[in-house]
Amino acid sequence: MNEKKNLPDDAALTALLRPARVSPDLPPGFQQNVWRRIEDSEAAVPTTSWLDAMAALILRPRFAAAAAAVLLLAGILAGTANGRQLARHEAEMNYVASVAPAFAR
Amino acid sequence: MNRPLILLIGALALGAAIFAGSFFASRHVTAMCCVKPSDDLAWLQTEFHLGDAAMTRVRQLHEGYLPKCGELCAKIAEKKGELNLILGNSTNVTAEAQVKLNEIAALRTECQSNMLQHFITVSQAMPPEEGKRYLAEMKKITLGDHEQIEQTMSNDTGHEHHH
Repeated sequence: MNEKKNLPDDAALTALLRPARVSPDLPPGFQQNVWRRIEDSEAAVPTTSWLDAMAALILRPRFAAAAAAVLLLAGILAGTANGRQLARHEAEMNYVASVAPAFAR
Repeated sequence: MNRPLILLIGALALGAAIFAGSFFASRHVTAMCCVKPSDDLAWLQTEFHLGDAAMTRVRQLHEGYLPKCGELCAKIAEKKGELNLILGNSTNVTAEAQVKLNEIAALRTECQSNMLQHFITVSQAMPPEEGKRYLAEMKKITLGDHEQIEQTMSNDTGHEHHH
């Protein structure tokens, strides 16, 4: 209600103030400078290399924890399989040593 | 060096350390747990899936074979001692040394023959398929090694053939 009531006065006030508004002159080459700065900022966007991407991935706690867990599990599985083979070979050699001492390795 | 590269190398080293650590630890633990040094025949039972009856028979055969094997080994050791005495001051292989070498060779042949016979007898005490596998494995270890050594020696033209 108030806005409608004030509208004629505002228009009159605006018309009165318009000539008094100071609009400073733009410095020379202002527009070119603006465009140059826009272009520069676009060109400056860093293109991430695979190394950066990998480093960023490694630094992710979830990825690091998952990778560590996978490596730990793989190590345990491989070690257990290898240990079984080793134990089997050792047991075999124990037997061979008991029946053919010259051939035990 | 830039930071991402250092990070990557560090991560790889850490990953390798985690894998190697868990690998060697679990290998050691498994190897320690699975070997029963007190029983030489434990391997036979697990490897060739022997039941109690077959295992008892194999154990009897094994215990019957050991004294014979030990006796022959003692004879070989005795003859080797005699050969060493003969060769002690000599610079060539005398007729006496040759006799001892022949005696040692004969004892070794007898020992090997007994051993092969024992393997055959043991294999017959096992289920047929397992027996075949056992005999093949024992032949591979006791005869295969000799073949390998002879093959290596015959290919090695730069050296004398010596046993």
